[in-house]
Amino acid sequence: MQRVVVVGSGDGGTFTANLLASELRDEIRGGLASVQLIGEHLKHPFQPGNLDIAFKGADPKNYVKDETDLLRKGVDFIQDPAVKIDCAARAVTTKSGRILGYEFLVIATGAVADPSRVPGLAEGSMNFHTGEKDSRKIWEAIQSFGGGTVVVAIAGTPHKCPPSPNEAAFMLDEFFRKRGVRENVTIRFLTPYPRPYPAEKISKVVEPMFHEKGIEVSTFFNVDAVDPVAKKIYSLEGDTFDYDLLIAVPPHHGADVVVNSGIGDEDGYVPTDRGTMKVAGQEGVYCIGDATNIPVSKSGVVAHLQSVVVAHNIVCEIEKSHDLLEYNGRINCPMEVGHHRAIFVSATYSSPPTDQSPSLVKYYMKRSFAMIYWRALNGSLERMFDVFFGQTRFPIRDGPEREKQVIPVNAQVRGEKKSA
Amino acid sequence: MSTVEQRKVVDSRGSFCPGPITDLFKAYRSAQLGDVIELLATDPAAKADVTAWAQKSGNELLDIVDEQGYLRIIVKVTKKRG
Repeated sequence: MQRVVVVGSGDGGTFTANLLASELRDEIRGGLASVQLIGEHLKHPFQPGNLDIAFKGADPKNYVKDETDLLRKGVDFIQDPAVKIDCAARAVTTKSGRILGYEFLVIATGAVADPSRVPGLAEGSMNFHTGEKDSRKIWEAIQSFGGGTVVVAIAGTPHKCPPSPNEAAFMLDEFFRKRGVRENVTIRFLTPYPRPYPAEKISKVVEPMFHEKGIEVSTFFNVDAVDPVAKKIYSLEGDTFDYDLLIAVPPHHGADVVVNSGIGDEDGYVPTDRGTMKVAGQEGVYCIGDATNIPVSKSGVVAHLQSVVVAHNIVCEIEKSHDLLEYNGRINCPMEVGHHRAIFVSATYSSPPTDQSPSLVKYYMKRSFAMIYWRALNGSLERMFDVFFGQTRFPIRDGPEREKQVIPVNAQVRGEKKSA
Repeated sequence: MSTVEQRKVVDSRGSFCPGPITDLFKAYRSAQLGDVIELLATDPAAKADVTAWAQKSGNELLDIVDEQGYLRIIVKVTKKRG
C-alpha cells in the first residue's frame, strides 16, 4: 500500500491531491494506494480576490467554494488540521489525535500573515492578507475616507503575492479618482526595497506610473513599529511618516505545524530542493508553495507549477521510474495597475523579469484567472497552462549541481563573537 | 567594561534580487549598533543596492571585495532606531 498524505488544502495541496488521485486512480481503486488531504477549513478561498474585496467592494461570496466540491474522486479529505509531522516515524498527527502514516508526504501548509510581529501593527493598520473579513474592512474604511494620508507599507518580506502592495496603491488611486476626492488624498508607498518594485525591469514600468499618478514612494523603509494612537509608522533606518489610514502587508512566517515539528528554518519555512521540491534530508517528503524556503515568489501560480512536478515525481517513485522532473523557477504574477490595465511579472531561476507595457489584454487575462481558478484545481486546464506558461519543468539533472540547490536550516545567517 | 561586537555572515550566493538585500535586512533587523554584517552575493546588483541603502540609511559600508565568483560586502551597523 502506497499512502500519500498531503498536509494543507490551499491551492497547492488541493491541486497536488487531485493530480495524484488522477494519476493513481487504478491503484486507489485496487486498494494499492491512497491519497489523504488534511486541511483545516471546509471553505476554500481564492486569495487574490481579497484585492477586489478591499479596493473594489467585491462580494466575498464570489471567491469561495466548498473544498469537497473541488476534489476529484479518490481524494480522502480530512478536515482536521495537522499539528505534528514526524518524518522519522513517517506519520502526521491531527488536532483530534488521529495519526496518519505515509509512504509519501507533501507539505503544503502555506505561509501565515502575522501583524503581531511588528509592535503596533495589528492595532494601527488594516490589511488584505489575513482573509476576506479584514479585506472588507478596508473597503468600508476607504468609502468614508474624506481626505488625508493613506500609507501602503510592506511590513515584512517575503510575503504572499509580491505585486499586491503595488496593486493596492494603484487601486487606491483609481478608487479615489472615481470618488472625485483624489486631490484630498496623499497616497504614500513605503517599501524596504531599493525601488518601487524589487525587480528592476518591472520597477521601470511601475515607477513612472506611480509618479504620473502622484503616488509618493519612500524606499529602504524597513518597518520597525507603528504607533496606533499618534498614527505614525517608524522604520529601522530612523524614518517616520504620519498616516490617517495605514494599509500594511504583514510579516509572514511558516505554519505552526512546521514550526512545532522542528522541520522549518528560523522563519518556519521548510528547507526544500528548488528543483525536485524534496525536503532536505528526508526520503519521500516534498514541500510546495508558500511553505518552502525557496527564494521565489510566494504565489498560487508557483504552488501550482510545483505541484505538477511533485505529483509526477511521487508517481515515478511509486512506479520505480527514474523519469523525475525539476521545477525551473517559473513565476507569473499579474499586477493590476489601475484603469483596466495590467502587466505580468514573469521569470525563471535563470531569466529575470523583462520589460513590458501595461495592457488591456493582460488585465482581462488577470481577471479571467478568478474564473478559471476552480477548474484549474482539478487539473483539467493543464494543456492550456502548458501553452501559456511555456517550459516550467525539465528532466532531472544529476551531479554536483544538485548539491547547491538546497538552502539548509539556519545556514543563511551565521553569527559569531569577534571580540569581547 | 568590555564591548561585544557581533559579526554575522549572510550567505546569499545563488539568490537574485531582491534576495541579497532582503537577507541583509533580516540580519540588520536583529543587529545591534556596532555589529558588522558580511553579505556574500553572486548577484551583481547587490553592490549598488547595498551601497544605496547604506548611503540613505546612514550605515557604514566598510568594504566591497571581489572574491572568486562572488562579492563580499561588509557593512557596519551605525544607525538603527531603538
